[in-house]
Amino acid sequence: MPDCSENYEKEISEGKNVRNVMCKYCNSVILTPSSASFTSFEYELPLIRQSKTNDQNPKTENVSLFWAVNDMFTFQNVGFSNTVGNNKYLTCADCEAGPIGYHDMSNKMSYVALTRVIHN
Amino acid sequence: MAKTYDYLFKLLLIGDSGVGKTCILFRFSEDAFNTTFISTIGIDFKIRTIDLDGKKIKLQIWDTAGQERFRTITTAYYRGAMGIMLVYDITNEKSFENIKNWIRNIEENASADVEKMLLGNKCELEEKRQVSKERGEQLAIEYGIKFIETSAKASIRVEEAFFTLARDIKAKMEKKLEASNPPRGGHQIRASEPQKKPTSWLSRCTIL
Repeated sequence: MPDCSENYEKEISEGKNVRNVMCKYCNSVILTPSSASFTSFEYELPLIRQSKTNDQNPKTENVSLFWAVNDMFTFQNVGFSNTVGNNKYLTCADCEAGPIGYHDMSNKMSYVALTRVIHN
Repeated sequence: MAKTYDYLFKLLLIGDSGVGKTCILFRFSEDAFNTTFISTIGIDFKIRTIDLDGKKIKLQIWDTAGQERFRTITTAYYRGAMGIMLVYDITNEKSFENIKNWIRNIEENASADVEKMLLGNKCELEEKRQVSKERGEQLAIEYGIKFIETSAKASIRVEEAFFTLARDIKAKMEKKLEASNPPRGGHQIRASEPQKKPTSWLSRCTIL
């Protein structure tokens, strides 16, 4: 059962993130308050944990709630993976947990999945 | 949208394979997450934000991603680089000797005024040390660059190294700006006046 948007209502004010967006494993700050816009669409994001046999076909889950960032230098700390297709996956800059979202090379937008981070 | 930072510096990590460059990109290497997915794809670069003398500085840090195995790094990788961390492993004599080759590679490929710094990494492994601190210092003096011993694994002085490099790049840039905007006869330019300039200058300098 995916998280429903109600859980995140208090995290959004005037369309922006109210609190810091942080890595759920090491608390590294990814986005500072009010620096990203809430957006919702469907995306198949690979799972953080994969079994070794899945290298070619990583397991994904449907993710629909994102923090949208239009300039990559808005991020406080973040890692960008090498390019896969038209995307780069986003990771924590400190512990490299990820993907926490993805970067679309065609429109230069970055999207951080709300369910893959914590808010503090 | 207004810029949320004052400066953007592109930094490179250069040195032999195995000297711990990738670890330097981590802050807490023992917490390192090893998912097959991300580690298979590999990290291209990281963005980090630091505060330096009241200025917000974005560091875009690139690792050589295994290119160093071929003992040479292409010009494309150096393009736009403003700072380079030359990394060797204090427990590996060869990696120290190769710093000279890396400096030659930089001189051939990178912009002449790129700011460089020498890092002797893995300083937590004192009992396995092959390169004395003095030799590191001596080499740095020879090339007129700064030197620091770090331990990415024990999180010792890694942040200090990045702050030092960033501070030197910032000072160099401010000096350049001053030189290109010399005060004209009698009219004294206040220090605060050219502050808007760096952003526009930088935007031409970055590759993204």
